Amino acid sequence: MLRDISFSLSLPSSLAITGPNGSGKTTLLEIIAGIQRPTKGTVRLFRDDTELRRPWHHETGYVSPRLRLYDELTAQELIEFTCASRSTLRNRADEFLAMFGLTGHRKKMLSRYSSGMAQRLKCILAFISEPPILLLDEPGSNLDREGKEALFRYLESVRSERIIIIATNEKEEADFCGERISLG
Amino acid sequence: MVKTIIAHIKKDFRIEFRNRYAVSVSFSFAFTTTLAISLAAGGIPFSPQTHAVILWVIMFFTAMSGLAHIFVREEDRGTSLFLRLNSPALAVFTAKLLYNVLLFFVLQCMILPVYLFFMQLDVQSPLFFLGYVFLGGIALSSSLTILAAIVARAGARGALFPVISLPVSLPVLWVVIQGTSRSLGRAGFSSPGDMVFLLAFSGTITAVSYLLFEFVWHD
Amino acid sequence: MCGTTEISAPDRASGSSPGTSRTVMKYIYRLVYIVMPAAIAMAFLYAPPAEGLGESSRLLYFHVPLAWVSVLAFSISGVLSVLFLFTGNGERRELVHAAHNSAAIGLLFTVLATFSGSVWSKLSWGAYWNWDPRQTSIIVLMLVYIAYFSLESALRENPSRQRIVSAYLVFAMVTVPFFVFVVPRIFPSLHPDPVINADRQVHLESAMKISLMTAIAAFTLLYGYILNLANRVSAINEQKKGDLR
Repeated sequence: MLRDISFSLSLPSSLAITGPNGSGKTTLLEIIAGIQRPTKGTVRLFRDDTELRRPWHHETGYVSPRLRLYDELTAQELIEFTCASRSTLRNRADEFLAMFGLTGHRKKMLSRYSSGMAQRLKCILAFISEPPILLLDEPGSNLDREGKEALFRYLESVRSERIIIIATNEKEEADFCGERISLG
Repeated sequence: MVKTIIAHIKKDFRIEFRNRYAVSVSFSFAFTTTLAISLAAGGIPFSPQTHAVILWVIMFFTAMSGLAHIFVREEDRGTSLFLRLNSPALAVFTAKLLYNVLLFFVLQCMILPVYLFFMQLDVQSPLFFLGYVFLGGIALSSSLTILAAIVARAGARGALFPVISLPVSLPVLWVVIQGTSRSLGRAGFSSPGDMVFLLAFSGTITAVSYLLFEFVWHD
Repeated sequence: MCGTTEISAPDRASGSSPGTSRTVMKYIYRLVYIVMPAAIAMAFLYAPPAEGLGESSRLLYFHVPLAWVSVLAFSISGVLSVLFLFTGNGERRELVHAAHNSAAIGLLFTVLATFSGSVWSKLSWGAYWNWDPRQTSIIVLMLVYIAYFSLESALRENPSRQRIVSAYLVFAMVTVPFFVFVVPRIFPSLHPDPVINADRQVHLESAMKISLMTAIAAFTLLYGYILNLANRVSAINEQKKGDLR
């Protein structure tokens, strides 16, 4: 149960949310992403001082183990779908696929992806529309060393222009962030 | 927004085409039911009124077996979270509405010949008969889409969907059953007022569904 | 492009005391203690028996108000659901509880109206049920209520239960005007339309009219009284839940 949590972040910044299992890290991220309602309290995202309506698709990119993708689609189709859904103008699919080592697997259906490959694809889908706020729930889970390196290389490259919030129990993921909140 | 909606339509049709779950299950249901009735009737001719009632009962329950699938699938597979994060509700609903309308139209095109064949149906006013069937189909499928979204969030869906759909479908069913029976029985039957009613119903219900969908879709 | 994320906890809510209007309503509802016995007395003692129907016409003073209240309860439930969805950002839970309570009362009154109507139907026209348009309408209303409560229990564990159920009720409400077009086509009405006369006008004797109006007022007050009580119970339950958190 989350109680009395209050904080404010401005561009650029990075925040780690740590805590034991069941302390509410995922819940807090979901509330920030706008997919869960807090029982009491508010979340406000400002862009030119206008208040946005939940959930704020264009503002956040979300990665989570709870996210399930369409088994019947290929990576290429999913990326195209995500870009069209978010009205992304630039087509950086090739770049991101190469970054995360999935170029050779772009035409494979997701039912044939390993969990590590699926996690890489989730990262691509969250980052490809270049949202200003990145919400990552245990982003390193299922990723091998190369996958993690690719992920943190990307995060490092955009650190100066985004708000990055990582919910994690992994030390190196938490250490990446400039600030930290401990729950539970 | 148009591009987004088209992307959603493409996605839904692509997945259904690769899966073909909804069409096959619903059509099997309609086919089996028609056969069962034909068998049970044993060649006894039905009045136009009886034919109209049976035909629309089959159509209604075919709708019950197939029209919830497009939303239920998202909830069951867990992909609804992905949709909620990435897509505007308007695009989601439009794609699923169009999918349902088209799916039901295809199902009706498959059911009608089967019914005409096995039940020896004699249509006196074919134009209005088809008008009632297809406009009634549009009215039903457009009104049931938001109910499909509602039922996908609940448990006990198989039983719940007919329970919540019936009160809403009754105006349509009453009009089409009466109209179908008259177009079957009477040559030269014409009733443009009913067609207008069905269109008005579809339009109003769709508009209200758009207003309400966000409340059903988002937490 | 600049952006700020801000998350804040709410201020501790200050307790609010019931307003004057609520106290006034409480006393208005208590008028039912006077009006209901008066209505019953008038139904049996003051109003004359109708021509043709005889003493069984006294059922009128119960059946019509019951049917009226079931429609009223439905409308109020619908309006409250609309308010819940479209104002206050979905936070005003007392609205959805009131809508639920109104629907519960409405269902009870609908069942009673159906029973009383079918008794009258048997006495006047020889059969308990004929699918006459008014009978059909009340059954459809019952179907909507049943659907509403089934949906609510099927959504038991869902945090969005109240919004979804309210959306359904509003949706069902929108289909009601279409019945007005459809229903007269079903069967010619057996119902005395409006009441107890071959002339299609309100053609009651004045004593019967007064008794009927009193009965309608009594049942409306009864509805308000029960609704008020139920809402207060809901508020207490809600507060208990809040304290437990």
